[in-house]
Amino acid sequence: MNNIFALAGVVIKELYRRKDFYVLFVLTALLTLAAGAVNFFHDDKIVRYVKDICLLLIWISALVIAVVTTARQIPAEREARTIFPLLAKPVSRWQVIVGKFLGCWLATGVALVVFYFFFAAVTGSKEQIWPWGAYLEAIWMQWAMLAIVIAMALLGSIFFAAPSSTSTITIIVVGGILLLGTHLKVIALQQPEPMQFILTVVYFVMPHLEWYDLRDFVVYDMGLVPVRAVALATLYAAVWSGIFLLLAWFGFRRKSLNT
Amino acid sequence: MTAILQTQKLRVEYRSRDLRQATKVALSGLDLEVRAGEVFGFLGPNGAGKTTTMNVLLGFVPPSSGSASLFGIDVRQPIARQRIGYLPELTYYYKFLTAEELLRFYAKIFGLSRGETDKRIAELLKLVELEQAATRPIKSYSKGMQQRVGLAQSLINNPDLLILDEPTSGLDPLGRMKVREIIQRLKEQGKTVFFSSHELGEVEAICDRVAILHQGDLKAVGTVAEVSAGFDNLEKAFLKIVGYHPSPAP
Amino acid sequence: MKISPLSTLAVLLALAFTLATGLALTVDNWSTRAKSDNLFGMLFGDGRKLFANHFFTMADVYFHSGYYPSVFDGVNKESEIVETSHGHTDTPDDEVKEDFLGRPHDWIDAFGRNFRITRHTHLEDHNEREILPWLRLAADLDPQKVETYTVGAYFLREHLGRTDQAEAFLREGLRNNPDSSEILFELGRTYREGLHDPDRARNVWQLGVKKFLARPADEQKEDRLLFEEIVANLGRLEDQAGHYADAINWLRAAQTVSPAPDALQAQIDAIQKKISAKSP
Repeated sequence: MNNIFALAGVVIKELYRRKDFYVLFVLTALLTLAAGAVNFFHDDKIVRYVKDICLLLIWISALVIAVVTTARQIPAEREARTIFPLLAKPVSRWQVIVGKFLGCWLATGVALVVFYFFFAAVTGSKEQIWPWGAYLEAIWMQWAMLAIVIAMALLGSIFFAAPSSTSTITIIVVGGILLLGTHLKVIALQQPEPMQFILTVVYFVMPHLEWYDLRDFVVYDMGLVPVRAVALATLYAAVWSGIFLLLAWFGFRRKSLNT
Repeated sequence: MTAILQTQKLRVEYRSRDLRQATKVALSGLDLEVRAGEVFGFLGPNGAGKTTTMNVLLGFVPPSSGSASLFGIDVRQPIARQRIGYLPELTYYYKFLTAEELLRFYAKIFGLSRGETDKRIAELLKLVELEQAATRPIKSYSKGMQQRVGLAQSLINNPDLLILDEPTSGLDPLGRMKVREIIQRLKEQGKTVFFSSHELGEVEAICDRVAILHQGDLKAVGTVAEVSAGFDNLEKAFLKIVGYHPSPAP
Repeated sequence: MKISPLSTLAVLLALAFTLATGLALTVDNWSTRAKSDNLFGMLFGDGRKLFANHFFTMADVYFHSGYYPSVFDGVNKESEIVETSHGHTDTPDDEVKEDFLGRPHDWIDAFGRNFRITRHTHLEDHNEREILPWLRLAADLDPQKVETYTVGAYFLREHLGRTDQAEAFLREGLRNNPDSSEILFELGRTYREGLHDPDRARNVWQLGVKKFLARPADEQKEDRLLFEEIVANLGRLEDQAGHYADAINWLRAAQTVSPAPDALQAQIDAIQKKISAKSP
């Protein structure tokens, strides 16, 4: 476990010493403040559209941070040849996979907390209420979703040498699931065979990332999602992350790495 | 003396890019033993299979057949590398870390305690003369400084076996002397050193035993005297063994 | 002869400047986008109408606090903010029809509903303000979308009590759509119900009728319910003002297009009783 945490620590250090996170945070902050500064019909109490815009930006930024950071982990180590002195230590390839995953996941978690604090500050200044329960639930669910996404990107990075390929494919897949995941069954039923069968299989086999999007609950003040549902969704995220990590390990463990 | 590094009928094949060949054999049934406490030189021309052998020993490349072990443990087990140090030929380390952070990271992987880590880092930074630069990121280091960081990280766990891939490659004479001194010191401490090199003069001066590899086959192994018996020096013996023929005079 | 890089740069800059100034006029005439005095119009060109429609839909989504069918749910109905602005209130049957989700298809759908909004609600208690930004943006992007002004003004007046802002919004809509009977009707309602100024309401509604009758016949046929609303309201206004003859004329005009002429006839009969009661 020491090795895994040591690897995770290096990943976190790398993220916060690169500029990506700060650029995205500043961009999110500026756009949110701009949206919040606009006055519609001289009403200072209008706040939901600010929440909507801010949460959308947070979702996009967190996704970009997660995917881009993860996609470059293994390929960058191979290209920079830092993988060799690392694997020459008593570190298994499984520990490298899990350590990278944990580092990326923890780093995006910290980024999420910072984003949401900013979100709470901006929206709280307008509506003077802070539904911390709803915010915590939204952060937790988004973080759980990012675990699946990070594991998926890590799997992609084992098979695609270029981080840009992994990033692009992961973002397309994740974006597709978030937009269409809820509706895929309905879409499938409207298609002729064999497309109906294929889409139905995809619907049942894919990770349902759209469950983790609780933005509507925060924007429309709809209260909390039942704890049991959150717990089951967390377990679901853990299982899917595990599946992707195992597949990544299968791909990585017998890979020849020539110096 | 016990063998701490051993290969038995080690064979490594790669898929060939040449359409006329299905596979390329990098190592064909290598039987090698390195005993505890000796300085072992691993020689061969480019493409002989030296790096492939090291890659197998370090777990980077799986063998196609045969076996390799370190301290009696199969090299495919990560624990086999608990007592070794490795210095690659090309030294690249995490550029965003400082030398101190890098050494601390590797020390954590070896499971060293905090006190032990602090002590080792201080000793090693002094040894490689990087005390002043320890808190600067590695990306700001010169090539020579990066190589010294590499040496320091290879010694962080006070290894019983040090595997060095062309340790003096690219170093100036002072640097080469420094490396030679370190190898000598390790030998005096009873450590084992296994290194590849093209500097035959250096090998002749410090090695107890050598092995010469050519086209994946082990051509000669023994003490320097045994291998260069009948020749003026190790270099001439090497050239003869690898089948070098001088070009006729014009 | 050696040409220095500096002189080459100067020549290129001069050429670029000449081309830019020379072609600017030509480019202006190519595209309506450049003619737009609106930032969004300039940025998006004719595509701004798509965004305007989307933002108008967002207002409806906000009105329902997120409970809204997607394009995949196959629900084709008028947006509820438009229906509400015309005085529609939901009946229990409507509530049932609003449940576009239906029964879950499978366990994934069933579990996923824990994380979706599944209750049909409408904003109330002044929370209707939350739809205003989307209506404002829709109006900026497509000033010719008349519904934006009428719906926005309705909610400003009726639900938020901001009659002045409602009037200003409608007047802005009228400047962009001077022949719009819909906006004139809503403006009339604002004067009558919001500002309690029947005279201005009358003037505006009469102008609305004039604009409506100036439309081509097929357009009049399509929007006959709008005509009914305007003239029926004029009838009620004249009734309240004691101008019974005018009231009956307007109500009879409404009868010609109304799907419920009997209800209007009842109003006409009531007015006639008043006339009879007044005459000696």
